[in-house]
Amino acid sequence: MLALGACDALPRDASGTTSRVERTHELRVTVLPGTPDARPALALLGAYARDHGARLQLVPIHGEHAHKALEDGEIDVLVGHFAKASPWQADIALSKPVARGEPDDRHHPVLRIARRNGDNALILATDRLVDEAAR
Amino acid sequence: MSLHSGIPDAIAADVRHGERLEWWTLLWIGSVVVVMGLVMGASQAMKSAVIEDVLSLIPAIVFLLSVHWERKRANRRFPFGYRRANSLAFLVAATALLSVGGFLVYESVTTLVRQEHPTVGGITLFGETIWLGWLMIAALVYSVIPPLVLGRIKQPVAKRINDKVLHTDALMQKADWQTGLAAIAGIIGIGLGWWWADASAALFIALSIIKDAIGALKQAVAELLDGTPRALASNAIADDAKALIAALEARFGQVEVRLRETGRYIAAEVDCRPPAVIPTEAELMGEDKAWRLASLGFRPD
Repeated sequence: MLALGACDALPRDASGTTSRVERTHELRVTVLPGTPDARPALALLGAYARDHGARLQLVPIHGEHAHKALEDGEIDVLVGHFAKASPWQADIALSKPVARGEPDDRHHPVLRIARRNGDNALILATDRLVDEAAR
Repeated sequence: MSLHSGIPDAIAADVRHGERLEWWTLLWIGSVVVVMGLVMGASQAMKSAVIEDVLSLIPAIVFLLSVHWERKRANRRFPFGYRRANSLAFLVAATALLSVGGFLVYESVTTLVRQEHPTVGGITLFGETIWLGWLMIAALVYSVIPPLVLGRIKQPVAKRINDKVLHTDALMQKADWQTGLAAIAGIIGIGLGWWWADASAALFIALSIIKDAIGALKQAVAELLDGTPRALASNAIADDAKALIAALEARFGQVEVRLRETGRYIAAEVDCRPPAVIPTEAELMGEDKAWRLASLGFRPD
């Protein structure tokens, strides 16, 4: 039981994002312009927010500044089209494709959820939701 | 006594034991590299651990090559034989150890300066998405065991055959298991949200690796510059070399005695006329270490 408890306790977020979402009851989300199919990703994030007693707060940010806003912690997640071999790959944590399989072409952008590096609790929780939705 | 023949019978079995240990090292550490490669994901810490493991194979490889060359007979192109291959291998092994330490310092310092927050997400196995950190820790536990065991077995063998390459490889194994433990602490740190834990632990271990590597490099350079034979684990003059100088001075008076080391073998030069009866290796070095004295020369004024 102790081991299982320890398993559930890890990981935590380096920036304390999950705690902040629970405290403020808000998950700040930006949808990149040119993402007409964002609905499935927003549904997953809505489920995550509900699990943590929060709701989605859509933050309109110009596409050019959205990645920086995510890195700087001004938003919690970014929804948009990203390729598996995205040039942003090292700077942000990309999920698997939402509501579809991984395309054969690593450079083909598809709907994904981008999280801030180090937010490992949020990353694992949203990875689980993406996998469950795929099943 | 000859500088040029292969491996003396007195240590042949131990040298073969050392070779078997190095083949096991290549096999085990090779399997560790494969396992770590499978679970490393996008983790920079795990990538560093894999690169460090690949570099750690270098001393084992150069030991096997140097023993292969040491067995070769002297020939017209190499009239003094190939025993110095061991000295060259020692320099390569020490450089590899320094590279591992330097690489770890670079990786750790850049992570700390850039305040990079390592991301370790989920992985789906058998329909369950679990934290990849648990798999990384399992792989790291596996990576710690072979070097811990092999390093401890190698040390007494290295001492018996006076092999600095094998000894440096045992140091590399120590570096391997220590960085493995540091990486486990680092992954747990990442799990706790301490982004700096991994890099700080690696930096601490890297400084100890660099200290060992610089010591080994000093010895390797001393050997290649025909310095007086050094001890296996430090840059101090070897005990058996001191004893040999004392034995030669006792026998020939206060004359100039020069010793140098070719691989694991000592060559001695004494500034006096050759005596009527040349002392045997066993008389000068003792039975156990008689094989170490490969050459004794006399230089009359």
